[in-house]
Amino acid sequence: MPKRVYDAIVIGAGHNGLCLAAYLQRAGLSTLVVERRHEEGGGVNTEEPVLAGFRHNLHAQYMEFFDIMPMIADFGLEDLGLRTVMPDAQAGIVFPDDRPPIVLHRPGLLERTHASIARYSTADADRYVAMKERAASLEAFLAAGLYSLPVAQGIDVQGELLESMFADLGVSANFGYKSPRAVIDELFETPELRALLYRASVEWGAPVDEAGLGAMFVTFIMWTMGNWKLALGGTHTLAKAMTQACYREGVDLLENTSVESILVEDGRAVGVRARGVEYRAERVVASNADLRQTMLDMVGRDHLSDTWVRRSEAFRYGPSHVLGTTAWCLRDAPAYRAASIDPDIDRCFYTVVGFDGADDVLRYIRDAYSGRLPETAAAGTWVNSLWDRSQAPPGHHSATGWFFLPKASDLTAAEWEDVRATLNDRLLASWQKVAPNMTRDNVLADRLYTPDQMERKNLMREGDFSNGEFSFDQVGVNRPFPEASNYRTEIDALYLCGPSAYPGGGVHAACGYNAYKAIAEDLQLASPVQTERGY
Amino acid sequence: MRDVYDAIIIGSGHNGLTLGAYLARCGLDVVVLERRHEEGGGLCTEELTQPGFLHNVHANYHTFVDLAPPQGDLDLAGHGLEYVRPEVQMASIFDDGTALTVHTDLDKTCASIARFSEQDAETFRRLYTEAHGYVNLLLGTLMYQPPMSMKELTRALSVFGVEERSEFLSVKLRRETIDTFLDQHFTHPKVKAHLAFHGAVCGYANDVPGLAMSFPLLVGKIDNWNLCVGGSHRLAHVLWRDLAQHGGVLISDAEVSRIAVEDGRAVGVVLADGTELTARRLVASTVDVEQTFRQLLPQEAVPAELATAVETDLLHQPWSLFSVHLAMSEPPRYEAASFDPDVDRAWVVNLGYASTEELDADWRTVRSGALPGTCRPNAAVNTLFDPTDAPEGHYTGLLRQVAPYALADGGPAAWDEMGHWYGRRCIEAWQRFAPNLGDGAILDWVPYTPADIPRKLRNMVQGDWMMGEVSLANMLDRRPLPGLAQYRTPVDGLYMAGSTQHPHGFITFAPAYNALQVIADDLGLEAWWRDV
Amino acid sequence: MPDIYSTEWYDAVREAINAGVGQLRSVPEGRFIVAVEVAGDGTSPYVDEDGERRFLMEIDDGICLWYRELDAGEDEHGHVEGRIDYRFRGPATVFDEIAAGLVDPVDVALRGTISVRGDMRLLLRNAEHVASLLEAYTNAVSTTWPLGRPPYAEPTESRQMAEGRQTAGEPEGAAARA
Repeated sequence: MPKRVYDAIVIGAGHNGLCLAAYLQRAGLSTLVVERRHEEGGGVNTEEPVLAGFRHNLHAQYMEFFDIMPMIADFGLEDLGLRTVMPDAQAGIVFPDDRPPIVLHRPGLLERTHASIARYSTADADRYVAMKERAASLEAFLAAGLYSLPVAQGIDVQGELLESMFADLGVSANFGYKSPRAVIDELFETPELRALLYRASVEWGAPVDEAGLGAMFVTFIMWTMGNWKLALGGTHTLAKAMTQACYREGVDLLENTSVESILVEDGRAVGVRARGVEYRAERVVASNADLRQTMLDMVGRDHLSDTWVRRSEAFRYGPSHVLGTTAWCLRDAPAYRAASIDPDIDRCFYTVVGFDGADDVLRYIRDAYSGRLPETAAAGTWVNSLWDRSQAPPGHHSATGWFFLPKASDLTAAEWEDVRATLNDRLLASWQKVAPNMTRDNVLADRLYTPDQMERKNLMREGDFSNGEFSFDQVGVNRPFPEASNYRTEIDALYLCGPSAYPGGGVHAACGYNAYKAIAEDLQLASPVQTERGY
Repeated sequence: MRDVYDAIIIGSGHNGLTLGAYLARCGLDVVVLERRHEEGGGLCTEELTQPGFLHNVHANYHTFVDLAPPQGDLDLAGHGLEYVRPEVQMASIFDDGTALTVHTDLDKTCASIARFSEQDAETFRRLYTEAHGYVNLLLGTLMYQPPMSMKELTRALSVFGVEERSEFLSVKLRRETIDTFLDQHFTHPKVKAHLAFHGAVCGYANDVPGLAMSFPLLVGKIDNWNLCVGGSHRLAHVLWRDLAQHGGVLISDAEVSRIAVEDGRAVGVVLADGTELTARRLVASTVDVEQTFRQLLPQEAVPAELATAVETDLLHQPWSLFSVHLAMSEPPRYEAASFDPDVDRAWVVNLGYASTEELDADWRTVRSGALPGTCRPNAAVNTLFDPTDAPEGHYTGLLRQVAPYALADGGPAAWDEMGHWYGRRCIEAWQRFAPNLGDGAILDWVPYTPADIPRKLRNMVQGDWMMGEVSLANMLDRRPLPGLAQYRTPVDGLYMAGSTQHPHGFITFAPAYNALQVIADDLGLEAWWRDV
Repeated sequence: MPDIYSTEWYDAVREAINAGVGQLRSVPEGRFIVAVEVAGDGTSPYVDEDGERRFLMEIDDGICLWYRELDAGEDEHGHVEGRIDYRFRGPATVFDEIAAGLVDPVDVALRGTISVRGDMRLLLRNAEHVASLLEAYTNAVSTTWPLGRPPYAEPTESRQMAEGRQTAGEPEGAAARA
């Protein structure tokens, strides 16, 4: 049997937990990772859930942080199986009438992005490209911000910083107070472009109407928009490479093992009880599980102050990033009518289908956020087999999409059952309007995972892919709440290393990396910071 | 990705990972290349129905636990691998409401058999006792070493006087069917049916000549059916962990499109995306013979005689399996529990075969490409023994029915239209014995047809999950072809180490373990595992 | 007439083995180290109930070069370089009974009473040699038994089986030869 005593125990083999475990073990701490599921990776998850040979990413889809993620370089993940491709055409939207599509391209091909937007508005095209270039020039700065412990900074200070960087592009200091929608509307006049950007905003987890997130749009969203990579083999390949790095360092991993409780003695975390067995951690316990589960279920109220109980209870999941994943086994990839205007739309990495325009997107998002099933059947879609033939059998294609949906608890089990039985058909009808070959005959099989199922699969509460709403009071130094924002908890030796902590959900491994920094500081372990990368 | 390794292993099924782990422990720089997104091959556990329900899509029964050398050599338990050995291992439930159960407790098994025939119970006790005694010797002789010829084996049996010392082992078994063996020793049709059913689940059809030779061995471990806690895929993780902790690398989504050969020697592979990898010392293929010799090797590297044999002489199991994976809110409660309450806690359950003739008739039907007239699937509810495989208060179910890969009417593709229909028939067959499994108790289910098998695992050609027929003609030093049986190939530095090789498919670890012996001899590796 | 488990007895067994080898058509090539572990079982007076006696033997081209007992706690690798090729392990009474010619070694191996580890293929390929070796161990040495000679008061299961077969009229039974 595996050992019962380690220096460090990490709860959860999501990508953040794996990241932390690898650094801990390398720093000389014997480390055990305990995972509830049978597979490592958490949301970095690829399966064949519909038909044999058709792969689908059930959670994380596009990878925007691979160029800056420290673990990839520090542990040589590219030698351990991580391989990527960056499609030229990155993000697109199509409409059910004769309006041209909008197709945004990867960095280096911004002239094509410009040409696409310019079909509607040269001013928007100029500004979009300029903002992309400006945001790209800030990459080192933004990356350092991501891979560092969050710093308290007044919203006015943020606004001033923002203005100093983007003033010539029409950004003013008060953007920091605004919602992404207000910022998008102020910067861009084209409803069709706005539609795509609204969707991109919620895709990032930033609620489009949430005041105070305007800065996030200008910086992080403009920076990462269209910098998306496809992990060959599926996003799970990242989890595999990270797991392999852990193994090579000597980390032990127990799958299928739910942690029942975190052992606390004299206010200090000393281990975990998992499937009835106690595993001791002599130096550190870190949790990749969500905040409420970690603090209220595993630690338990008896060990917590009123403040921590209250703040943990108040932490919100959804409604802003609640997703359903739709999986399609296709004969042919969608062939869009709009390809007659811009052929790139047929080979676009991420394509939004089903919306009529900006108002439709807003209406949809507002419906979903208020707990109603949106009337429009619309989704962001990926056909990864276009770039990675391994994702579908020869001569076939594998498509996956995201629906924004109400929280898991907003609908009853029977209502979700009904959604599963009908929503894909409705999406197919929308799809066929823009891609006439998307008939039933073109579909071998399809499947929809609703938020209630996503919750059960990965314990992402309410089906919230960010594991905690990206509202103004739950981002940055406020995540998950001010007293807990530096990965430390009020229990000695217990740390948070998952998306409940800064910067939150997303495949950047920053929660795990930053948690390691905090632990390294406390335990005087080697710092992972490398001067040339600046973090 | 690094491009030079000592050893390149094609395929990350349990054989590929096992060979990789041993070689890594020998200090070789090893890479294991996997076409799929997941390692493990048949060690494949997926949430096919609903989140939280773990279904073993292929391998479910681990019968070589504590018998296969790699488990100790690679310290799999130390890596956290856990098995459960259910007390009630198997059951046969018959149409008349009676049932027979096989237990880990021999006395209980004999008591159950005695309800049908006291004489058979005594015979079984003697057979089991004898076979259990030599199970390790026979495994070491027949499975965990490169194969000898049948002639060599029978000669050794004769020198040691085994025939005189054994009631059940005999040289003539090498020509006989399991049916003949059962008829010689047992009397009651239901007892014979259960023993034949048990052989069938192991991949040994009771009407195939020669398989009687292996039957005592099967009986010797009839009570060694183990469930891998957390799903069979957990074994793949553990093997991978051992490989990686000893410096090896597993690369998934790395389809090999070509084995590079220079001057008659395998020197590396080329991946489907064009990446070229160099092998300093060896390439081992654990995938099927067809792929290895027709697609991966340059045709000029394959001697004409072998190419012809690959074309014409390969034998595949002429039957496959149709599976139904279920998510359930309650376990089956069999009516036959009133006859023998232990059926409700039995793991592998034969639903209805009551004579070897019924099995024989189905073999004939299935080999002709038709579906058996009566569905008699076998059922297993793993959750009864491993509650981690389903959400609390819920259960996974597995039904398996013998079925043809290619239907006479429509070929394998016909399965795509028939999967749900036939799955429903299998569920109905289960419901006849366990009426509580109404639609309310079944939350979800999916069919997994013989046609799906090679779609998921390409090397299981024609839905052949044993990767080669289990028959006299394809046994020992004749498997998969006489020229390939010793794990070497006509291409220097290229070895065959997968389930195409002796002994066969199933989670035996034996093809890899045996290939390892040959590789160690050829490469002059310090064979640390041979230090007994 | 050497005492069982004495240096003289090991030498006598070794000589008997080598005498038998001379009659064989073929012998296994190369060098093999064989380890024997005799575990105390509370019946045999020659091994403590919780203890064990361990023996090593080196065979080179079929000839037994040496056969000796290890001291308690002694590392077997102090005697041999490289690996042990075969290991036989079983209860003391059964080994005693084999040496006394009461039970048949192949029989007990088939029944799993004595476990055999090592390359079975060589054991089978060299069946004649193995059989001759067993014969030497079983019948070729006149052994004296200072603490008493098997059968001991409680017959082992192995002996019961051997005797049972003898009464059933099987000519090959080990007891018949004894």
